[in-house]
Amino acid sequence: MDLDFKIVGNDICVKLTGEIDEYTARSLRDDLDKLIDAQGFRSMTLDMQSVTFIDSTGFGLIIGRYKKLRQKRAELLLKNVPPQVDKVFRTSGLYSFVPIVK
Amino acid sequence: MNNFFDMKMLSCGKNEAFARSAVATFALCCSPTLEEINDLKTAVSEAVTNAVVHAYSEAGGIIELLAEVDEEARTITVSVTDFGCGIANVEEAKEPFYTTRPDDERSGMGFTIIETFTDEMTVRSKIGEGTTVTMKKVFR
Repeated sequence: MDLDFKIVGNDICVKLTGEIDEYTARSLRDDLDKLIDAQGFRSMTLDMQSVTFIDSTGFGLIIGRYKKLRQKRAELLLKNVPPQVDKVFRTSGLYSFVPIVK
Repeated sequence: MNNFFDMKMLSCGKNEAFARSAVATFALCCSPTLEEINDLKTAVSEAVTNAVVHAYSEAGGIIELLAEVDEEARTITVSVTDFGCGIANVEEAKEPFYTTRPDDERSGMGFTIIETFTDEMTVRSKIGEGTTVTMKKVFR
């Protein structure tokens, strides 16, 4: 799982690449938390375009980051969600908490 | 033609990608759609995650993966078996968002996703002996 980020104004856009499952989630969680703890932005946008697989472990990870950002009065957003990822998110009800932006 | 494979692997997160890819490749003889293959991969990943995270925890153990295809019926049946701690109350465990590990960011959505992404799911479990999750997917 690779991660690139770009800061534009008050938003940090994080581009994720690869598969998110039990094996990859731990290091991704640590990487995202380092960004969340270090930066003073108002929103984090996860660009999911190059995520080739996710399961409920990934859903748990996203919800966890949503909660962490909320404590810092920042919001979590998603963009470019591919079909497999979208189906897991829809089944899990993620979009009630984390909206998709263009 | 009916065909099957039966393999054992170490219970570790690294083997999840291998397990779901093996089953997906095996199912290709039924000419599934991309969405159907993704559904199958997701469901297998959930069952293997359960074994890795809940059945054995840090101790590790063996996971048995059995996949059977019926090409004529365009159906695959996958069983994921562990020999770990077992589930005390299967019906409770199948409830959406039910988890014994909420502090570990576990979503409790594993069984719900298997049920949603396949056509049939059964869970057999005995405390101290292990769990078998069997899922059946029909390709349309």
